[in-house]
Amino acid sequence: MTENYEPKILAFLCNWCAYAGADLAGVSRFQYPPTLRVIRTMCSGRVDPLYVIEGLKTGYDGVFVSG
Amino acid sequence: MLELAGIERDRVQLRRVSAAEGALFAQYVNDVSETTTAMGPFEKDKFQLQLAAMERAFNTRRLRWLTGMEYHLANHDNVYETRTSPELVGEILDEAIESEYHKGLILEVLKDGPLSVREMAEKTGLKVYTISKRLNELENDGLAEFDSHEGSTPKFISLAA
Repeated sequence: MTENYEPKILAFLCNWCAYAGADLAGVSRFQYPPTLRVIRTMCSGRVDPLYVIEGLKTGYDGVFVSG
Repeated sequence: MLELAGIERDRVQLRRVSAAEGALFAQYVNDVSETTTAMGPFEKDKFQLQLAAMERAFNTRRLRWLTGMEYHLANHDNVYETRTSPELVGEILDEAIESEYHKGLILEVLKDGPLSVREMAEKTGLKVYTISKRLNELENDGLAEFDSHEGSTPKFISLAA
């Protein structure tokens, strides 16, 4: 494992809560590492367990579901 | 199911964030990134069999029906005006997850041709007794059947897609 390893995390963010929260974090200039690859859903309840498996099958190092 | 598959539980994270909690979101991303970095890259090629089995398991009737039902089962009376305790709901789910994951592994290794119970045990890493038990469940559901004999050893095939 190299020193510069940065994980790629697949993130499902719901439009109304988590995505808006992320937007607020950006506007407020809170710092966080660029590890998330975001897919916006209308509701986190829409996220099927199969999507999580698909993420791992594709090779993401982690899956983050927020809503 | 991640635990059964040998995948680190922390690779999948669930967090509640509201639209007003920008700082909290940033903090969660920091935490999750740190945890994920510590685990190292996910080696998807090592887990092909396990991920395929997990996919099969999450496509089964039983898990599709049970997913999301935990709250309702534990917090609402049924028609007999009794209620299932959260512990029992947890047990039911755990048993369903283990059963469907094991059967997913078996159907996955059977997809390339007939195998004996011992061969299935070797390929899946499950005990012979477990294969026997789950194979029986698959046969009852019409998803696997006896195929032929190799000498005196019975071989089984998958009837699933």
